[in-house]
Amino acid sequence: MASTYSCLVVEDSPMMRQLLVLALSRVRNLKVTEADDGVDGLRKLAGGKFDIIITDINMPIMDGLKLVKRVRSDPTHKDVPIVIITTEGSNEDRSRALQLGANAYITKPIQAPQVIAKVKELLKIEA
Amino acid sequence: MSDKKGRPRRSDRPSAAVAAELKQKRDAFLHTFFRRGAELTDELVHENKKLRDTIAKLEEDNASLKTQLASDRAIRDALRKIDDLEREKARLLSSMHQQEEITGKMTNRFAEIESELESFANLYVASFQLHISLGLRSVVRHIKELLVQLVGAKSLAVYFVDEPRRRLEPIASDGVDLATVPAVPLQDGAPGDTVAAAIERAYLTGVPHVAEGDVAAQPAACIPLHIDERAVGVIAVYALLEQKQRFVTVDRELFKLLGAHAAGAIVGAFHYTRTDGKLPTPEELRAITG
Repeated sequence: MASTYSCLVVEDSPMMRQLLVLALSRVRNLKVTEADDGVDGLRKLAGGKFDIIITDINMPIMDGLKLVKRVRSDPTHKDVPIVIITTEGSNEDRSRALQLGANAYITKPIQAPQVIAKVKELLKIEA
Repeated sequence: MSDKKGRPRRSDRPSAAVAAELKQKRDAFLHTFFRRGAELTDELVHENKKLRDTIAKLEEDNASLKTQLASDRAIRDALRKIDDLEREKARLLSSMHQQEEITGKMTNRFAEIESELESFANLYVASFQLHISLGLRSVVRHIKELLVQLVGAKSLAVYFVDEPRRRLEPIASDGVDLATVPAVPLQDGAPGDTVAAAIERAYLTGVPHVAEGDVAAQPAACIPLHIDERAVGVIAVYALLEQKQRFVTVDRELFKLLGAHAAGAIVGAFHYTRTDGKLPTPEELRAITG
């Protein structure tokens, strides 16, 4: 029986969230949970186990970078792969996110195949 | 009496002498006979040996020829096999090329389908979000978000026509302060500013301006906004995000969607917001639609 994976998408824009969920629906056996911002993301993390987290950086209440720091300092989720999706395309932003513990960095506008490939790569799902 | 050789005739000689002579002759004959016999035997033995050697040689040659023949047959078989294999190889290569061609076509088709799928997903999300709310703020926010998040616009403004004053007024912006965005007068002559000229042209002609290739100059795009056939405004995308170099097919499709739906959504949301969400009565609706 194929493994089932769970993904947490943390994004304040309903449009981006819907687009991400639509893209991720093409990954077999991947269950997606949505969160509106970093705090909502932490709440969802406290209530379940996730195999991968996809988060935006610029969000109200708690931004994506703070969320990454929190996740990495939490023994339960410290090893969960994190993909940052953001409009910030500079190398400094990328380095900062990766230094904080993110595993991958994708800039907007996103391309569904790129997101799918990255998720599969981090979950070690064969293409 | 004597014979021709002067010897006395046998009848004249004493019988003992004749007997001795005959014995001598017999011995000589026998000697000669046996010697010749021995010689003949030797010759026969020699001849026999030669024949044996010849037979051995012939047998050897025969064996060699047989080997040669077998070898030739093996070579012929091998050559035939090589021909067969060459034919098989050619067939396989041809099949492989056909497969490669099919794979190439499939890959291209797959890429096309991927691209179409992405376009559909973006268009679905865009239209879903554009019409999900009738709150004016939400509609305008969704239009801006769509341009930033899906297209990759760095700075933009939404213009609406002020028909009495013959100009396009900015009503919303992103990445640039709305207070600093100038109105675009609708003049008979082309305005001096290239951005204003592009915005005005898009409004007056109804033809969108979308930069081809790498976006080097402002504005990157000017999309006329229509309600039915009537032009009522323009979306100006001044610049794209750093990581977005150029517009792609799906962006053009999104522009078409916005050109046809954004103004209607804004006007509809304006009336809905202004009446605090008051719904028309069935009678009012029937009066117009009936």
